[in-house]
Amino acid sequence: MTRHHLDASTIVGYAAGSLPIELAVVTATHLESCGHCRRQVEDAERIGGVLMEQQQPEPVDAAHLQGLRHSMLERLAEPLPPSATSIGGDDAPSKAFDPDRLPAALQPWFGATYSELKWKWMAPGVHCIRAKDTRTLFLLKIAPGRSMPVHGHGRSEITQILRGSYSDALGHFAPGDVADLDSDIQHQPVTSPGLACICVSALDAPLRFEGWLARKLQPIFQL
Amino acid sequence: MLAVSHGRDRDSFMRIYDHFMPRVCLYLRGMGSTPANADELAQEALLRLWQRADRYDPARGSLTTWVYRIARNLHIDRVRREPRWLDIDLEPEEGVLDEDVVEHEQLRQSIEQLSAVQARLIRMCYFESKTHQEISEELDMPLGTVKSHLRRAFQKLQSEVRGKS
Repeated sequence: MTRHHLDASTIVGYAAGSLPIELAVVTATHLESCGHCRRQVEDAERIGGVLMEQQQPEPVDAAHLQGLRHSMLERLAEPLPPSATSIGGDDAPSKAFDPDRLPAALQPWFGATYSELKWKWMAPGVHCIRAKDTRTLFLLKIAPGRSMPVHGHGRSEITQILRGSYSDALGHFAPGDVADLDSDIQHQPVTSPGLACICVSALDAPLRFEGWLARKLQPIFQL
Repeated sequence: MLAVSHGRDRDSFMRIYDHFMPRVCLYLRGMGSTPANADELAQEALLRLWQRADRYDPARGSLTTWVYRIARNLHIDRVRREPRWLDIDLEPEEGVLDEDVVEHEQLRQSIEQLSAVQARLIRMCYFESKTHQEISEELDMPLGTVKSHLRRAFQKLQSEVRGKS
């Protein structure tokens, strides 16, 4: 059961289509497993719909509008396409549960399955995969019982737990939980014993490390 | 809309088209489309509404919300060229929206009652496609303050939506 949810400002940004892509991907990953946050997004979409309808359209060239109308009437006469599976795309995720499959929102960035992931060593007990074409969306695998360096966030960080778990001053984060953090939060995640913690994170600015060693290594890690 | 979804009634559809077409165009121009692109995308959005009308379920949300979703998704797909993050068919887990005309009107009134700063931030987010950081820079307002205004505005509007459920 999900205990940590998305911040309302993230919900609004997602429903408005204005989140940076990296944050949107992690948000979409959380939404796949969280009915509570999906309902929040639906509420925010209703607000978007009402806002759109509230607008007072400017007067437009009647001939232009008539041309568009005529074109639409012609298209209505065309045969209907085969039924699509979802608005905006025709490749909705399979509902069958496969524990090896990554969440659908992550597959375009990291591939289809956990077993095919090509982890890169980053630090003792820490492996990482950076998403193609972006520097601020990445998967992290942290060995059990490890303390991460104390760090804050330049702007925002959203982390979704996929496997394993960690704890910090904000609580215990297990699979399905999301840490939606502001720039004023500083924390030191410690992974739980047992399973490695695998999570997907997105940043919109570099992390701010407290310790001198982590700060020295930051350019190498590119986080 | 039921005449469209059940009967494929073109006259009924064109009444919906006449209402939404200028609004969707205005929305898309606000999001950054040129007038020509906004016309093209709005036509496509409304054509999708026609093509998928058989899937319309008033219990799952109003027609307005559906049109908004289609237009927003097309903008992300074609203008931002980020086709993969909103195309997952996400169904609510519990209950239905049970959205009706009365609630729609109450939500409209609540939006008008937002404070000036909340209304401006909501508008920048929904109609100008500004990230929280861009809003923060443009208004010279700390990022945390931007988020807390958006949070409070959403909660205020949501209490109107949910107060009836």
